Amino acid sequence: MQARWEYLLLPSFVFVVLLIVSSQYVFLKGSFYEDLGLGQIGDTFDWVNYNKFFSDTFYLSTLWITVKVSALATLFTMLLGFPVAYLIARMRSQWAMILLAGVVVSTFVTIVIKVFGLIIIFSADGLLNKFLMGIGIVDTPYTIIGNQTGVVVGLMHFTLGFGVLLLYSVIQTIPRSLEDAAQIHGASRWRMHLRVLLPLSLPGVTVGALMIFNMSMGAFTSAALLGGGRVFTLPVLIQRTMMMEIKYSMAGTLAAVLLIAVLLINLLSVFLLRRLRAARLVIA
Amino acid sequence: MSTVAQQLDKSVRDTGPPKRIGLPWGKIVHYLYCSLSYIFLLSPMIVVIGASFHGGEFYTAIKFPPDEPSLRWYTKIPQTQYEALGLSFLLAGSAALGACIIGIPAALGIVRGIIPGKALISSIFRAPLQIPSIVTGIAFLQLFYIVGDATGLYLQGTFAGLYIGHVFVATPYVVGTVTAVLQRFDTRLEEAALSLGASRMSAFFRVTLPVIMPGVYAGGLYAFMVSFGDVPISIFLTSPGFVTYPVELFYGMENDFDPSILASASLVIFFCLLALLGMQKLVGLDALLRSGSR
Repeated sequence: MQARWEYLLLPSFVFVVLLIVSSQYVFLKGSFYEDLGLGQIGDTFDWVNYNKFFSDTFYLSTLWITVKVSALATLFTMLLGFPVAYLIARMRSQWAMILLAGVVVSTFVTIVIKVFGLIIIFSADGLLNKFLMGIGIVDTPYTIIGNQTGVVVGLMHFTLGFGVLLLYSVIQTIPRSLEDAAQIHGASRWRMHLRVLLPLSLPGVTVGALMIFNMSMGAFTSAALLGGGRVFTLPVLIQRTMMMEIKYSMAGTLAAVLLIAVLLINLLSVFLLRRLRAARLVIA
Repeated sequence: MSTVAQQLDKSVRDTGPPKRIGLPWGKIVHYLYCSLSYIFLLSPMIVVIGASFHGGEFYTAIKFPPDEPSLRWYTKIPQTQYEALGLSFLLAGSAALGACIIGIPAALGIVRGIIPGKALISSIFRAPLQIPSIVTGIAFLQLFYIVGDATGLYLQGTFAGLYIGHVFVATPYVVGTVTAVLQRFDTRLEEAALSLGASRMSAFFRVTLPVIMPGVYAGGLYAFMVSFGDVPISIFLTSPGFVTYPVELFYGMENDFDPSILASASLVIFFCLLALLGMQKLVGLDALLRSGSR
């Protein structure tokens, strides 16, 4: 008799589908009714909130800022993360484990604590500002709280550990022998990186970058704390609209816009992954 | 001492990759760059731990490096923070358990079941990770309002409500790691147990389960940590006087700042370090990462 494993799946599947559908349905439906203030909503179904979103420059600039800080954070995360991931993936000693552990711990510690550390580092009489003023780069203390630079730095702390782990698994799939072969045939280290490592890791790096971009788009905590009430990204505005302005429908609309943006990026990533996999089959 | 020309000449005669002349600058630059990345990555945590040992007065209490080393603020962690930590531990532990109870059968069904559309089903199980947490937060809050209005049972600000939200985001991690382990599992092991007279139950519990345990531990740890560190979902589902630790910290940093936060945050960092070391002893870091690629 064959065991029927598919029956095991059923309860879990029903549970997860029920939670996804019910929660998403409620806020998506709610986003089509007008807010009347104090949590009351109108009773006609229309596009009023979406019209508001796409005609109000404040909402549009929020969307633009979210995309901008996320793109910058993704770029810098990849730039900081790739060399580290490469170093760990190609290391043969015990040190690789220790370096990896450092990265994993940073992904475990909640972002609130990391932002707390950042605020101490960048405080007016903190270590960094004393150093910067000591060597005369800045005259007044440099702060990252309440500006977009701060939000980018905060997002990077949210994504960097995860990014390194992602790139590490990408680089591990590239056989080291290919790099050795390039060098034996006389390629310099630089040329090997440019002509062998980069093209081979590009599919993984692209998909990884899209994942990091998505994480940044949805990041609430670091953006809220480092934005200091002056920089609004979509997640920060969603929380504010829901809890302080008590406009459930508008919050739902903002959430719907964020969700659709993120899902579109995911679709793009799935599409790319498929094309690149097909391309890799040709190579291998 | 040989001249550069002689060295070049020699390297041409040598077989194998050409030897480099002088210092390996490429490597040095790479190492320096990576040290900078690590400083960037780890400095906030080091600063929090360092500053927690500074024993200064309230308004000068944040100082790194500390000039009056003491454990003063560790003794002054208020009751509310301990309560928040307790709630977070309880919530994360039970959410991880719930994620395992839902995730392990799901993974078994996905890998071994004979069903159409496996790719679609596993992407549905992954969906909670694709939805931004803040969206999950307001989605559940609005759902709980509707359910409350209909039945009189309001789940926001209760443990049950928080629990549902956290299990929702934690489950995909367990499904992911256990699926990865199961896909590498050699089913002949199980067939051997069956042909030697084991019942289906005992073959599962004594052969299959022990083999997939590393995946369960890894997924459970991820689930725990995701729940333990969450702000965007919990911020909607908690209520004043009933908050998880990260949310307590979040409000603490926005409003009334208390240096004892440094002490309790350091304790949390130490706990994360211990959890990682425990996992390294239990299944090895490699297993944790291999199965962690979702």
